[in-house]
Amino acid sequence: MNEPLVLGIETSCDETAVGIVRGRTLLANIISSSVSEHARFGGVVPEIASRAHLESMQGVLHQALHMAGIRLKDIDGVAVTAGPGLIGALLVGTSSASAISLALDKPLYGVNHLAAHIAVDGLENGDISEPCLALLVSGGHTSLLQVNDLVRDIQPLGSTIDDAAGEAFDKIARILDLDFPGGPSIDREAKAGDPDAIAFPRGLTSGTDGEHKFDFSFSGLKTAVARYLEKTPLYVRADVAASFQEAVVDVLVAKTIEAARSTGIESVVIAGGVAANSRLREWAQKRCADAGLTLRIPKAGLCTDNGAMVAALGAYAMERGATPSDPALEALSSVGVGQILWG
Amino acid sequence: MITLALDTSTDRTSLAIFDGGRELFSGFHDGATEHGHFLPYLLKEAMKVTAEIDQVVIGMGPGPFTGLRSGISFGQAFAFARDIPWIGICSLDAIPRPDGECIVTVDARRKEVFYAHYIDGVRRGEPRVASPRSLPTGIAIIKDLTPDLSRFVEIALRGDHYRTPIYVRRPDAYPAPANVKFRAMTPLDLVVVHRIEKDSYRDDPWTMAQFKEEMGAKNRFYIVAEMGKESGQEIVGYAGATERGESCDILTLTVDERHRRLGIGRELLRRLIDWARTQQVEKVMLEVRIGNDQALPLYLDFGFVEIATRKNYYGPGKDAIIMEKVL
Repeated sequence: MNEPLVLGIETSCDETAVGIVRGRTLLANIISSSVSEHARFGGVVPEIASRAHLESMQGVLHQALHMAGIRLKDIDGVAVTAGPGLIGALLVGTSSASAISLALDKPLYGVNHLAAHIAVDGLENGDISEPCLALLVSGGHTSLLQVNDLVRDIQPLGSTIDDAAGEAFDKIARILDLDFPGGPSIDREAKAGDPDAIAFPRGLTSGTDGEHKFDFSFSGLKTAVARYLEKTPLYVRADVAASFQEAVVDVLVAKTIEAARSTGIESVVIAGGVAANSRLREWAQKRCADAGLTLRIPKAGLCTDNGAMVAALGAYAMERGATPSDPALEALSSVGVGQILWG
Repeated sequence: MITLALDTSTDRTSLAIFDGGRELFSGFHDGATEHGHFLPYLLKEAMKVTAEIDQVVIGMGPGPFTGLRSGISFGQAFAFARDIPWIGICSLDAIPRPDGECIVTVDARRKEVFYAHYIDGVRRGEPRVASPRSLPTGIAIIKDLTPDLSRFVEIALRGDHYRTPIYVRRPDAYPAPANVKFRAMTPLDLVVVHRIEKDSYRDDPWTMAQFKEEMGAKNRFYIVAEMGKESGQEIVGYAGATERGESCDILTLTVDERHRRLGIGRELLRRLIDWARTQQVEKVMLEVRIGNDQALPLYLDFGFVEIATRKNYYGPGKDAIIMEKVL
C-alpha cells in the first residue's frame, strides 16, 4: 500500500502520545506527559504513569484526529508500542489500539519502541537508507544497531552493560541538584561550563575491551563524578555538568564511528530522547563529517517518546506488506530490538 | 439497543452482548494477568453474533489495577472508535447478593479486600479497602464472586455512573521523594524523634530514656529521614534494627503523620534490610500491630510473611503479628 494513513499509539513510559502519518508525512503528533508528577521522585513511578495514560488517552486521540483533520474510520491501520516499556503502561496502549482495530476492522501492528525511534527519522529526512547504523540513546536504552531492514532485520551490535545514557543524566542531575529529567537540565547547565575542566573516565574505550567493543558503561563515570564532588567542596557545577556530558557524548560518538568503520556502513541515524542533547548533535555532526559518514538526527521534538514514531514504523510495515499483528497481541516489558513487529 | 458489557475487575475477564436485556453472547476467561490478551479474543467471538453495537457498559472496579485498566482502556477505545457512548458502573454492584443487608468483597491483593455495604439492594457509600479481619461482624459477607454481566444493563440504567476507575487505593508504590535524605541517627536527633514517637504511638510511646539506651546499645542500626524544607532540614521519620545472631529484628519504623504515603517508610525499610544483609543474618523479623493497615501492606510488599500472632502484645486486646523475611 502506498502512503497508508496510520494512527500510532505510544504509552511505554510517562508519555501518552498519539501520532498520525500518511506514509512519510507527519499529520499530527500529540503528547500528554505525566513527567511533572514524577519530577519530585527523581524518576518515573509506574502506577502514576499508568493512571495518567488512562486519563489522557481519549483526549489525546481526539486532539490528534482534530489536528490531522481526519476521521478515525478513515485510517488504514493502527500501530502501537507493544514493548519494551513499563508493562502496566504498555497495556493501556495495546488494549486501546486493539479495541480500535476490532471496532473499525483495520489491521493492527504491534511495534518495537526502539525500532520506532529510528523510523521517525523518515518523517523528517525522507526514507532512511538501509543498511544504516543507528545509535539509540534514551532514558531506558543505549544501543548501537545495524538496521538492514527497518521492519524485518535489525541486529544489535552493542548496548549498555549497566545504566542507560539518559539514566546517567538523571542520576548526575540529582546529585548536582538539577531538575528531573536530567538530560535537558544538564544540557542547559553545561553551556556555561568547560567540557575539558575535569577528565572523567570514558567507559569501555580502552582498546582491550574487545568483548565489549560496541557496548557502553556509564556506572564508572557516575561513581567518578560522585567521588569528584565529595573531594571538591567548592566545585563549579557548570564545569562538572559540561565535563560529565562530554564524557558521555565522546563515548557515544566514538563507538558509533568505530562501528561504521568496522561494518563499512556509511549512513548513521541517532535517535531516542538523548539525541535531543545539543552537545551530542554538535559533536556527532563534526565527527561524522570528518569520517565521511552521512548523519541524520530527527529534530529534537521527534527524538523523545511520541506517537508519530509508532505511526511511522506502522506505515513502513504496511508499505512493505508485513503481516498484521493478532489483536490479542501481548505487551512485553522487556524485549530485544530483534522483535520489530508482533505476530 | 445493543449493549456490549465487559468487566476485568477480578481474575475473570468477562464480555457479553445484550439486545435490551436479552443475552446474545457471553464469554469469560479466568486468569489473573490475561485480561489484555483475552478481551480481543472474546470481542472477536462476540462480533460474530452481531457487530452492531449501540453502547458499551464497563465495570470500573474496584479491582487489581493492571487488569482493571486493560478492560477500561479497551471499552473506552471501542466506544471512541465507534462513536457510541460508554457507561462506567461499580463492578461490586453486579455481584450476585442476597436481599437484605450484606457486605460484598473481592480480593484486593496484599491480604486486603475491596468491599461495599448493601442494605435492601442499595449500596451505602463508596467502595472501600480493608483487611478482612476488620470488616464489621454480624453481617452476611459475600466474598470472591465475580460480577454478573447480565446485571450491567439494568445497573447502567439506574444512573450511578463512574467516569474514572474506582481505584480506592492511592498509588503507593512511591520511591522516596528526591528532597528526602537518609543518615544515621545521632543523640542530637532524639528530641525531634521522640516528639514524632509520641504523636504516632499515643498509647505507649518509647520514652526518652529508652531511646537514649538504644543509642548506647550494641549491634544497633538507627537511621533518620530528613526532608529539605524552606526552614532547613527537618526529621520526618526514623527506623532502627538490631542484630541477634541468626536474625535482625526491626525495632521501630515510624514516619511523621504529615509525611506518610510518600515512600519514606518504604525507603527506611529498604535500608534496614540492606543493613541486615551486611550483618550476614538469615532473616529479618518484626512485629506489627493487628489493624495497622498502613504498615502491613508495606511489609507484605517486601516479602515478609506472617509466622505467628502474639496476644495482647501491645497491651490488653492489642495483638501483634510476627512477620519474617528470609534473606
